Amino acid sequence: MLWTLALFPLLGALLLYLAGRRLGRFGLTLAAAFVLLMTLVLTGLAITSGWQGSVAWSETLALTLKLSAAGSVFAVTIPLVALPIVVYAGYHEVGLRDDYRTVTAQGMRLIALLVAFVGAMQLLVLADDLLTLLIAWELVGACSWGLISHKWGQKEVPKEAAQAFLVTRFGDLGLYIAAAAVFAGSGGFGYADLAALDGGLLSVAVAGILLAAAAKSAQLPFSSWLFAAMAGPVPVSALLHSATMVAAGIYLLVRLQPTLSTVDWFAPLVIGLGLATALVGGVVGIFQNHAKKLLAASTSAQYGLMWVAVGAGFPGVALLHFVAHAFLKAGLFLSAGLAERQTGSYQLQDMRQGRRLPGMALAAGVMSLALAGMIPLGAAWSKEQIAAAAGHQAAWLALLVALAGGLSALYATRFQLLAFGRPLRRERSKLPQGPRPSRAERGALVVLAGVTLLLSLVWWPEVQAWLTGAWPQRLPEGKPWELIVSLLLVVLGIAVGFVMTRRQRRSSTCQGHAATWFGLPTVIQTIARGAVVLGHSLARFDDRVVDAGLRGTARFGQWLAQRNAQQGEAFAEGVPDVMTRLSQWGGHWARQAQSGQTHHYYTGISLGLVIIFAILLIGALL
Amino acid sequence: MILTVAWIVPLVGAVALAAFPRWSEARARQWAAAMAALSLLALVVAWLGFDPAGPLFQHVDELRWVPSIGVAYRVGVDGIALAVATMSALVFVAAIVYPVDTLGQPRQYYAWMLFLQAMSLGVFLALDLLLFYVFFDLTLVGMFFLIGRWGHGTPQVSALKFFLYTFAGSLLLLLAIIGLYLSIEPHSFDMRVLIERQPLAGTGLYAGLVFLALMLGFAIKTPLVPLHTWLSQAHVDAPGPASAILAGVLLKMGTYGMIRLPFAMMQETFAEYSLVVGIVALVAILYGALVALGQSNLKRRIAYTSINHMGYTVLGIAVAAAMFSDNLAARQLALTGATVEMVAHGLITGALFLICGSFWQRTGEYELDHYGGLAHQAPLLTGFTVLAAFASLGMPGLAGFVAEFQVFAGTFAVYPWLAVLGVLGILITAALFLDMLRRLFFGRLPLHLGQFAELKRAEWGVLGVLSLGILVIGVYPRFLLTLIEASSVLLVGGR
Repeated sequence: MLWTLALFPLLGALLLYLAGRRLGRFGLTLAAAFVLLMTLVLTGLAITSGWQGSVAWSETLALTLKLSAAGSVFAVTIPLVALPIVVYAGYHEVGLRDDYRTVTAQGMRLIALLVAFVGAMQLLVLADDLLTLLIAWELVGACSWGLISHKWGQKEVPKEAAQAFLVTRFGDLGLYIAAAAVFAGSGGFGYADLAALDGGLLSVAVAGILLAAAAKSAQLPFSSWLFAAMAGPVPVSALLHSATMVAAGIYLLVRLQPTLSTVDWFAPLVIGLGLATALVGGVVGIFQNHAKKLLAASTSAQYGLMWVAVGAGFPGVALLHFVAHAFLKAGLFLSAGLAERQTGSYQLQDMRQGRRLPGMALAAGVMSLALAGMIPLGAAWSKEQIAAAAGHQAAWLALLVALAGGLSALYATRFQLLAFGRPLRRERSKLPQGPRPSRAERGALVVLAGVTLLLSLVWWPEVQAWLTGAWPQRLPEGKPWELIVSLLLVVLGIAVGFVMTRRQRRSSTCQGHAATWFGLPTVIQTIARGAVVLGHSLARFDDRVVDAGLRGTARFGQWLAQRNAQQGEAFAEGVPDVMTRLSQWGGHWARQAQSGQTHHYYTGISLGLVIIFAILLIGALL
Repeated sequence: MILTVAWIVPLVGAVALAAFPRWSEARARQWAAAMAALSLLALVVAWLGFDPAGPLFQHVDELRWVPSIGVAYRVGVDGIALAVATMSALVFVAAIVYPVDTLGQPRQYYAWMLFLQAMSLGVFLALDLLLFYVFFDLTLVGMFFLIGRWGHGTPQVSALKFFLYTFAGSLLLLLAIIGLYLSIEPHSFDMRVLIERQPLAGTGLYAGLVFLALMLGFAIKTPLVPLHTWLSQAHVDAPGPASAILAGVLLKMGTYGMIRLPFAMMQETFAEYSLVVGIVALVAILYGALVALGQSNLKRRIAYTSINHMGYTVLGIAVAAAMFSDNLAARQLALTGATVEMVAHGLITGALFLICGSFWQRTGEYELDHYGGLAHQAPLLTGFTVLAAFASLGMPGLAGFVAEFQVFAGTFAVYPWLAVLGVLGILITAALFLDMLRRLFFGRLPLHLGQFAELKRAEWGVLGVLSLGILVIGVYPRFLLTLIEASSVLLVGGR
């Protein structure tokens, strides 16, 4: 029965795509929302009644599903976040055909793929073995490829989609190896088999899982694929960054943390990678001028913080931060889409839509404050928990986490002020004006902002007590000075953000460099180009050298045949010819010898005798 | 009887086509399709009647033929042969139904197709070495005429190159078969006897030479790097359906032969060289993928991915042959994976080459740069190509993944490094297929493609059936895995 959680949205997506051409915008949106709502209901049923699922492909290969604690949280969050996004997409992205009643094929595909994306992600968080996980893992990647290449007619878009797919698929290879290592050690693919591994095979499996998780979660050195993914439309980015795709990496770490952390190098590596990504991503966000890319860098950074929490041994904290982040980031992307609709570009300098869209500015403001880590919003609490968790390892780690928090306060402020701030006085007149956002778009944004506000409840001790009861793991106990330093940094970040956006500044090349992950995309592109060049040269090698052996053999055969036709034939003709002549001559000579005269015969006999004696003599002497 | 029916029916069909010169094109095509489908039906019946718990070879027919030298008409199948044969019959039906320009000689075209089907099925069904060899060689004749008479570009040259190169492989195979025949007392061509008695176990140079000849013969057919250069040229000049058969069916004879002859009959010798074979397979995987990435010609690109995919199959076979590894489950998984790869690759690449044929029929052009932006113009074509491409790059939920996952999982347990390097192959194939899709379907539609026509019903019907097969195997492969595992367990010695 657990299969329905994944199959319902997947089949629903198929139905939407096949039957969607008859529907109008409202019908399509409603149908998609209904599918997601039903998924949510099914998830609730599954959690309360303890469903399970398994299908055997063969004696060795079995697909098993099980609801874990972390999986339940994800399984609820995913459709919940997707719901407003799909509604928004229905009115923001889906176009109408010429008859103004039915939706275009492209819009239909977008909605169907969004719903399928949710289905694949549900499968991912329900998997109880590495084979099922790998299936879902790659399906999520394929969905993202389809979604990012939504506007396939533009030349660059399919290239960006391919880049995003390939970088994450490189990570997928890690899962292949991890699954193979588990099989080699235990003969099965289950998470339980993974836990039973030890020694070298366990290290290989953990390394593979980490590789896969890092690539999906856009941690260093894979972070820049998120920029390529920006070629997709706004709802795609919103879903990709909040509850699917990027979330897959952190889910896997949270789910398998008890096993993974048995390897010595797990904690330092995960904390190191996470912190590095959080800090570098923060810097990228500060200098980025593309609204969506700023948010994308922030996603990497925030997931970096979650990695720190898992590495420090508090997966529950990472989970909380994931939930808080999912709602606020989805909302911020949607708000960026509204601002873009007004100005026609994602350039932050050109936006400043505070006057035009005051309501939206307020909603975005709530979520920006949450991203900044400002008390009393929920994301602030989970971020402080992460700092506390890091503080359990070492005090300087807590400080670095607080620094990363300061950076996120800075870029969040920058985003808010540039996207939804008051326009500069001298530019007020020339601001372009786009269409007003529809009720659905505004509603989606307000709902997400509302949930973000609602999450502030976690600051209440009663709620915290309930959380620790529901989640069987302890929460880190932070020290007061950590909280104070952290909040000071947040305030400082916000202040610097105000100063930075005060003036319209030209960005230097150095800043441009920082804004694009310090040249990381170039490195990845160089590797890709290297592979293509290698392919081309190997193809030439194949045509000219490998095939040359064959052609050479053929030419040699021809040469041999010609030789044979000339010299060989002449020789073959010549030998019998000479023989004939010899025997002719011999016959002639023999006939001459038969002269009939006795003295000729006697001469012959005596000559013969002399020769015989000579031979005998020589023989005797030797 | 059922297996004999399966290969005789197309042969009778071919003879009938040759005998009735008045038949119209439509009639000839319907007849050929009906005969091919009957043959497929016979194999499906054989599948349903196959007992997974039974002996290795089932549905065996035996008829005295030349008793003095131990040749007999023997046919029979194990799960592996049955799976590959059924897939082949399906690909043949698809290739025959797929509309193609028969250049005014429809009867001859369909007669050769049916003849080729009969001989190809014969290869997979034969249980007698000499019979196997006869079928193996006669397939060359069928393909030679299909490429030479209905091809484009320089068909005669390509057909000749194909014929001579693979025929050289056949000769090595003949020598090896005679070697096997002489190694057993009383001399016999019966595969079952050879598999049971393993006559060449541990006999040094003689066994080594026979093994080498067998492997070289099959490596040319598979093909493995560096014996592959006949493939791309033959593919580019062959008509679409013939390409589909060449890649979908004929290449399988190489890997199927490896499993049937050296793997089953010379287990100890193969075990000794399994690492070498594995490394050659790895080279084929990476080299095939990289060279495919470097191609700008649609058909050549797909042709080279065949080398990559057959590399996975050979890797699986090599791992399964590594007898010294006591991980029976891993070896069995690898062999099952290798067989699934054969079935999956047959369907997937068959579909891809049929799609190539559709492109050729519309524009007469294979250069990728000639195309672009077709997604809007031909959404069905785009959909089927995207599905086949993703299947080929190993996307879960489609057939290729089931095969490749098993091959890698099995390989890692025996030769970890081969698996670690081998998985890079699926990354490169992903790159090359995404690049191909982008250049064909995305971006702007060039002006000269304004008249590009969408798939006709016959075309998408056929592609739909193949895609359904790919999807079913990808989602719920149990029916296939049960059949194959019945034999792979016995072959690796697990039962």
